[in-house]
Amino acid sequence: MNQISGQPSPDRRLRRHTVPEPDSAPPADELFSVSRRRFLEAAGFAVSLAALQGCGRTPTETALPFAVQPEGVIPGRSLTYATTCPGCSAGCGLLARVRDGRPLKMEGMPEHPLSAGGLCAIGQALPLGLYDTHRLRHPLHRGEQSDWEEIDRLILQTLQQPGLSDGAVRFVTPTITSPTLKASIDRFLSRFPDGRHVMFDAVSCSAIPDAHERTHGVRVLPHFRLARADVIVAFGADFLGTWISPVEFTAAWRSRRAPAPDRPTMSWHVQLEGRMSLTGSNADRRIRLAPDEYASVLRHLHGRIRSMAVGSPPDAAAGSAPLPDRDLQELADRLWEARGRSIVLCDSQDVAVQTLVNSINHHLGNYGSTIDLERPGRQRQGNDREVLRLLDDLKQGRVSALFVAGTDFTHNLPERRSLAEAIENVRLVVSFSERLDDFSSLAHFVCPDHHPLESWADAEPVSGIISLFQPLLAPLGETRSILESLERWSGGSRSAGDIVRSFWETDVFPRSSAESFQDFWDQAVHDGFAEVEPTTETPGDFNAAAVVEVDATVSDDEYCLSLYSKVGLTDSRHAHNPWLQELPDPITKVTWDNYVCVSPAAAGRLELHDGDVVILESETGDTLELPALIQPGQHDRVLAVALAYGVRGTDRFAGVGPRWIGAEPTVSEGGVIGENAAGFIEARDGTLRYARNGIRLRKTGRRHELASTQEHHWLEVPPRVAPYGAEMREPIQSTTLAAFARDPSAGSPESHHQSDVQLWPEDHPKTGHAWGMVIDLNACTGCSACLIACQSENNVPVVGKDEVRRQREMHWIRIDRYYSGTGDEVDVGHQPMMCQHCDNAPCETVCPVLATVHSQEGLNVQAYNRCVGTRYCANNCPYKVRRFNWFEYPHEDELQNLALNPDVTVRSRGVMEKCSMCVQRIEEARIDAKRRGAPLLDGDIQTACQQSCPAQAIVFGDMNDPNSAVSSALNSPRRYGVLEEFNFRPSVSYLRMVRNREEEQHEGGEHV
Amino acid sequence: MSDADAPLRPPLITGDKSLSDITRDICVPMERKPTGLWWAAFLVSAAALTVGVAAVWYQLVTGIGTWGLNRTVGWGFDITNFVFWVGIGHAGTLISAVLFLFRQKWRTAVNRSAEAMTLFAVMCAGIFPLIHMGRTWLAYWTLPYPNTRGPLWVNFRSPLLWDVFAISTYLLISAVFWYVGLIPDLATVRDRSQPGLRRRVTSILSLGWDGSARTWHRYETVYMLLAGLATPLVFSVHTIVSMDFATSVIPGWHTTIFPPYFVAGAIFSGLAMVLTLMLIARRVMHLEDYVTLTHIERMSLLMLSMGCIVGFAYGTEFFMAAYSGNPYEQFVFKNRALGPLSGAYWTMVTCNVVVPQLLWFRSVRRSLPLVFMIAILVNVGMWFERFVIIVTSLHRDFLPSSWAHYIPTSIEIATFVGSFGLFFTCFLIFCRIAPAIAIAEVKGAAGLKKRPAMRRVDAQSSAVAPGTVAAETAKPAGVS
Repeated sequence: MNQISGQPSPDRRLRRHTVPEPDSAPPADELFSVSRRRFLEAAGFAVSLAALQGCGRTPTETALPFAVQPEGVIPGRSLTYATTCPGCSAGCGLLARVRDGRPLKMEGMPEHPLSAGGLCAIGQALPLGLYDTHRLRHPLHRGEQSDWEEIDRLILQTLQQPGLSDGAVRFVTPTITSPTLKASIDRFLSRFPDGRHVMFDAVSCSAIPDAHERTHGVRVLPHFRLARADVIVAFGADFLGTWISPVEFTAAWRSRRAPAPDRPTMSWHVQLEGRMSLTGSNADRRIRLAPDEYASVLRHLHGRIRSMAVGSPPDAAAGSAPLPDRDLQELADRLWEARGRSIVLCDSQDVAVQTLVNSINHHLGNYGSTIDLERPGRQRQGNDREVLRLLDDLKQGRVSALFVAGTDFTHNLPERRSLAEAIENVRLVVSFSERLDDFSSLAHFVCPDHHPLESWADAEPVSGIISLFQPLLAPLGETRSILESLERWSGGSRSAGDIVRSFWETDVFPRSSAESFQDFWDQAVHDGFAEVEPTTETPGDFNAAAVVEVDATVSDDEYCLSLYSKVGLTDSRHAHNPWLQELPDPITKVTWDNYVCVSPAAAGRLELHDGDVVILESETGDTLELPALIQPGQHDRVLAVALAYGVRGTDRFAGVGPRWIGAEPTVSEGGVIGENAAGFIEARDGTLRYARNGIRLRKTGRRHELASTQEHHWLEVPPRVAPYGAEMREPIQSTTLAAFARDPSAGSPESHHQSDVQLWPEDHPKTGHAWGMVIDLNACTGCSACLIACQSENNVPVVGKDEVRRQREMHWIRIDRYYSGTGDEVDVGHQPMMCQHCDNAPCETVCPVLATVHSQEGLNVQAYNRCVGTRYCANNCPYKVRRFNWFEYPHEDELQNLALNPDVTVRSRGVMEKCSMCVQRIEEARIDAKRRGAPLLDGDIQTACQQSCPAQAIVFGDMNDPNSAVSSALNSPRRYGVLEEFNFRPSVSYLRMVRNREEEQHEGGEHV
Repeated sequence: MSDADAPLRPPLITGDKSLSDITRDICVPMERKPTGLWWAAFLVSAAALTVGVAAVWYQLVTGIGTWGLNRTVGWGFDITNFVFWVGIGHAGTLISAVLFLFRQKWRTAVNRSAEAMTLFAVMCAGIFPLIHMGRTWLAYWTLPYPNTRGPLWVNFRSPLLWDVFAISTYLLISAVFWYVGLIPDLATVRDRSQPGLRRRVTSILSLGWDGSARTWHRYETVYMLLAGLATPLVFSVHTIVSMDFATSVIPGWHTTIFPPYFVAGAIFSGLAMVLTLMLIARRVMHLEDYVTLTHIERMSLLMLSMGCIVGFAYGTEFFMAAYSGNPYEQFVFKNRALGPLSGAYWTMVTCNVVVPQLLWFRSVRRSLPLVFMIAILVNVGMWFERFVIIVTSLHRDFLPSSWAHYIPTSIEIATFVGSFGLFFTCFLIFCRIAPAIAIAEVKGAAGLKKRPAMRRVDAQSSAVAPGTVAAETAKPAGVS
């Protein structure tokens, strides 16, 4: 019994109190032994200590204030610097928000004369390119890490070698709009008897300046002023997406696309193209035309317009056009009616075709109005003839030193292998690349340039508009500005800032009207740009003789390959940016890959399905193996492949995305993202051609799953399951200009009106702010800049290809792209879709833990901390805009954590997230207004998507303020709410799309 | 008049059993060593359970992304399985409580295992809402308890919260009902067993049952009250589960037919599962005399009627979609029948509506292999019904841009398998430790043949009341 009850036996109890006898000392081991009771005491203490320890949160970190506070820096508050976007050569104005020394968010500069406040996806993605551990941090000598003294010494030593400095020294760059850098390169090259600067654009428009050299006597790229154009006829030129200066062109194009009830006018935009481009998707009229048919159509068009202008008979020898006569005549008539207010654009790389375009524009009187040669653009200066000569020289072994900056020379040219071999024979090969790209891996010396956000520089994208780059942070690595490298090798020792400043003092300031240089400089640094006198050669009179007969015979080849650049990945430099890789292509919605676009008819003929791997073979034996993608609206003969893929080093993305047993890596082992199609670029008649014939296509029978964010692409539901009378969904409403002129609310389906029935009595007036948004679908081009802006602002993670394939992309704002019509001739609609902040939000009632609730100001707010992750809210969201953290999504590169916005929580696994209407910006503006003691004004708050929109399609503001911009937009007769007939009462409204057309395709408005 | 007393009806218990025979027949399987068949079944079940535990563990550690869900289809196997198991859980209470109140004596042969099945099915069901949460470790936030976070309360408007209450109440009541029903039988086991662990445990659990008339009287009162309490639950639980869908705005979910439709479906699937289990147990545990063809036939008829109600509901849904004039609703139903997941839809219709029609034929109802097959198919069909409702409604809703597909991953399938593992493991253990048939109740339903046997039983076991069911003591027993 005792045993069971566990009482200590009497003798054991006694022993504790008995003093041991002196001679019976306990054995040694017992001295060190611990009694059970002692052990339990100690263990209990240790356990409770551990428990207490465990209760604590993360270890305390001490944040020390600056010993010396930097001037103007308030910890936690961002400073905005005016600078220039280095993403491409368009030179858009950039406002960089820098916090605690970290550039975090790139914004458009509203005052900038070109970009007018817009910024494209590439510009928005700059921070991730900056915080990239794969950027070189040291100069390299033959692949080994080196230091700048050593590099300078060796390069100068090599340059002094006999036979080298008097040989051909070639300096290759892409278009350089920076006058300072151009002067530095010239200065550096001036010490060599045969030094030449060759500009090579990865996607060149060399034929345009070449044609102007013939017709106007000056080799310049004109500045296209689309804001003045009433009629725009573009042959292939994707000017809203990637061509020359898309942000500027979008802003200008959009300015003519805002019909008002009292002024129902709009520009008329016709796009003739082979593939489906972003620009074509926004055109009023889109005509499918293979690139090799441009010449024939242009020739006919030229003939008709010339006959109207000078009375000469139409071009009889032109043969039959690949376009119906009625269409040709309409084009000619409308261009002629709008002469002086029209423009014809073409992306052909055939100089003869471009001279034809110049002649058309000349006869239409567009020079001097919509086409500016007095203040030409400098955004594309690449000269293919010189590039081809250089390639020739290289192959002949005539080049002794080759310097390449800002472009991956070998990656972007055909015949890479023979080019690489030729480069091996060059005695000095120097690259300024910021990373180990294809060319730098061949170079003897790699002298990494700073990231453009780390250094001083300047740009003059259009003659007379000159802007500055200013460093926003100390360089992250041991890199050196190219200006400084050239300065060292030319014997100087000035810093990049000094070089730019002194150049401006001597060369730019004299062109300005400012009094003193210091004032001019200070103002330019403050504004980010300055307008000065343009410098240009005066164009000569139009030389009609230069217009030569073009070969207008249309090839009867089965296929015409069209190489293009994708929105977001115009240049292989950006291939390392995971935001841009995961940006769904605005047209195909595919991420992380390039592919061959084929038309539905061709795919039907070949029995191809999305993701079937095909082999393209050129006459010269080049092959390219890519998955196929069926692209509605594409010309049946055209195959389209994006450039700037297959970039060396993109195998790094194998680590992107969650890792679990079912995961497939974004990049297969040893592979890269996509395939490089540059091998198919054809050099012909002095230009690099991106369209070519003589392509064979072969099926392999293998499959490669493409990761698309959209599965159903049509407004029409599949016919098999379509209910009678409801074959079409109407998230995008549209009308024609003719209908709009008759009735500004035309195009509104009858059943789609918000109900006035409310479950609750209206005894709860909504005072104060009511945040709302209006998106003008007529302005939105689908360029997806907002998507990256949102991703950057709101710390939206990158999830990798496999997750996108599983339809778990995390973007808070998406651009829904819908086709309608038949598979051949389709209309396209783009619709930015994000949380609609419904007043009767279906998500709010179903959350069991109140993690998503309504704010007093009409926002649907999500409390991440409270979310337990039932996903019921996402199921019940009619717009499907909620995003769930299926996994933990760390940055693939830890350094990229520096790009995180500290104002926005990084969400953990298992919680729901969605658009917050940039609530952190609302609060920031509110606090700011409070501090100023002023009320919050309309325009004080700009959401990230709104701020960067090149088309200014998004308006955000207080719907309770009758004078706000959003209120006036809400009064537009074009306003509608998506699914508003369900009485969700979304706070986001859309303005109906208006296409400049006569006919109405469907009853009750045309549904695009 | 109950069946057992009607002289013209065939007896519910065959084999001319005396009361002691009944006690022995039911208790022997749990007193002897488990058979090889039991071990085999147990090992398979435990293996399935292990697979499930591993899958759940992996999912909890890695993330819900290990499931095939996506931004459009936020629920898939998880909630399908949840509703499936809750549905199965319904038959138990139906048989124990509702049929008890309606004096359907044939229920006595199956009520014990049906109740156990309910309990285990609700356990399986409860796991899915727990693990489907992104942050399972915070699941207690769905309970309204005083807290220091604000205090932050739960959202009483959310059907998920109603679920929490409904399911936990149901689990609690089912467990109590099951246990109360077990008390006399535990006393029987106590009295039969040798001194040792079994006797110690059963003597504690039988709460000092002495078999006196007063004990019986109170027991019967409690049982009746609990039956009354449990009855509304049969209807409320699945009604509330259906509101997860019915209160939403998603076409295909947003429909008022769901509460009765779900309850009928639940009872349907529950009956099918009871039949499945009983047919196995009958064979394995040699209970042919207790679970007779009469039982099987009645269950089959009940199943047939439920199947017809469910089929009617399917038709009504289509009619309502067509009649509503709501193109989204019309689309969802066309898409169910003809869209990419039409296979699931037609499996559902075949298994739930077409196949049960065979039960109109008496020969089919009395053919054990056929009934077993039909029951299995109904189970399959009812699983697909939930899958169809959840996934086909979600995968193509309002905006075509967000349409998506859903393919379950291996982890989801393993979790589903694991839930069966849990269910059968629990059931097999139950068969070993508690009488699988309610001894006391079945005696009430047995036509008593011999007085002496009766007396002998009285002497042997205190667990058998003089008239077995207090309410019937006044009636002359043993007419046959």
